[in-house]
Amino acid sequence: MELSKKQTATQSQKLMVFVLTMALYGLATLFTELIPSFQAGIVEFSVEYFLFIPLTLAMLFDPLSVALGAATGELVFSEIMLGQFGGLGELEKFLTVTIGVYVAGRMVKNPKNYKMVGIAAITGTALQLLMGTIVDILKVQFAVEDFEAVAGLPESVFATEGFAFLNDLLFSGILFCLLPTLFLVPKLYGKIEPLLGMRPRDKKTWLGGINAKVVIGCIVAFAVAAGAELLATSGTPLIEWEAGWAESGTALAIGLVVAAVIAVAAIVALKVKAEKKQAEEQ
Amino acid sequence: MKMKKKLSENILDKFSIDFLRNQVLKNAYGNDDTVIARLDPRILLVWYLIFGLVPWFVNNLWFLMGCFLLVLVTTVLARVAGLVLLLFAVGVFTQTGYLLVVSFLFGGDASTIVPLLILTLKVATCSLASVTVFSGLDPDRLSNGLMWYGCPERLSFSISYAYRILPMLMEEFQNILLSFRMRGNPPAHERFWGKVQYLFYQVKVVMHAFYPLMLNTAKRSRTTVEALEIKGYRYAAVNKAVKKMKLAALKVTYNDLLFLAISFLWIAISILLSTLF
Repeated sequence: MELSKKQTATQSQKLMVFVLTMALYGLATLFTELIPSFQAGIVEFSVEYFLFIPLTLAMLFDPLSVALGAATGELVFSEIMLGQFGGLGELEKFLTVTIGVYVAGRMVKNPKNYKMVGIAAITGTALQLLMGTIVDILKVQFAVEDFEAVAGLPESVFATEGFAFLNDLLFSGILFCLLPTLFLVPKLYGKIEPLLGMRPRDKKTWLGGINAKVVIGCIVAFAVAAGAELLATSGTPLIEWEAGWAESGTALAIGLVVAAVIAVAAIVALKVKAEKKQAEEQ
Repeated sequence: MKMKKKLSENILDKFSIDFLRNQVLKNAYGNDDTVIARLDPRILLVWYLIFGLVPWFVNNLWFLMGCFLLVLVTTVLARVAGLVLLLFAVGVFTQTGYLLVVSFLFGGDASTIVPLLILTLKVATCSLASVTVFSGLDPDRLSNGLMWYGCPERLSFSISYAYRILPMLMEEFQNILLSFRMRGNPPAHERFWGKVQYLFYQVKVVMHAFYPLMLNTAKRSRTTVEALEIKGYRYAAVNKAVKKMKLAALKVTYNDLLFLAISFLWIAISILLSTLF
């Protein structure tokens, strides 16, 4: 029975992989958040990208646990711990990182095959960056009213975003994703798995290549990501709703202020009363 | 020249891994005696939801200014670490200030400023609200609050775990880097080309340092998970009775309601202003 199963990791091993990726990638993203980037001419040099950690681990372990662990680690360490949590918009980053890492992890059959590891690493990175770029362009288009009317803004957004994508892919992608992954995967293969009590990935324990199910899943996830990001920034119907309500005038606003004052007064009174009661009891 | 050298040394001194670790720890555990930290996490999360979402739907300058001032006050009350505020400032500038400069390059004029000011206020309000809530609260209280709203147990586990494991991981990473430095032979970096080589050498060392770190962390995460299994973590995570016991400590007080009411009052006043002007 056990042999016929393709999935070889048990639940607790998956949790181990999750914790491992979360801690490592979280630490790395924390550094990237803290280290300032510097610019040389028009090319921006930043250590933006430590994606090689989840990429490496995804090629060695269960890709889904790694992908979720990496996204959670980034969310918790660099967003929540530093208080930079962006609300619904974080869902976009979470999902794009998950997709990129998962796809890269599924692509590799034999971690000792340098060529495939390299292709998978750069594909995962490019996928993640590209999705981020598309969402960013859409985001600015929706966030600024009369996007087309503002002089020079549309071109500048396309130019900056497109340039940032190429810059990230060619600089950070190669230097910080491709090369370290090529170095780490063959070196860690067969060494790190026994530490978690697992067998190294081979033909039997491989999950199988990318099939239609993976592609559809990724597309759906990306649609959700883009939708969440746009919902977080646009909310067109609500703007119209707000406009109608703001026009209805000062009277409503005064009513709101009065209600708020009464609420504050009532709570203060209740609080004072409760404190008095407590003092009497003591 | 001497002064310049001294200054750069001073900055480099401050920006060590120790400094980063202290700032992060201070941010997490250093301010649990503030007004914000004593509020109920559930109330604060609702408050965050309002100030994280509403500004995106409104384009009135007065209203946005009012929201911005309110979250500015709460950020001061939460006594957030300096590094986080610096990151916030840099983040806001790179998101919109950069755009302004580039749109001038493409033939924009003063009319670009108002939409960008509105965008900046929106971004700034949302980030400051999140700084207040997520930096001002104790991580354990925060994860309890998230759990009460039905967030997956994995997430609140991750938050609590992250704050505990981070100092250790940082120390370990630093030790590995130091041992690399002790045994390594860095290229001479007096000339420009040497400096470039030195930079690449440094990057390479950081990448190589992750190899032992990965192996060590793998061992550690196995120990963690095995310890969790002994306590029956995976069953407890989905058990309702356990969750109830964990969350019994949460209590809404008058202070929380007062905080909500004052925020509401301030917003009502800014709506009033926005209708008057």
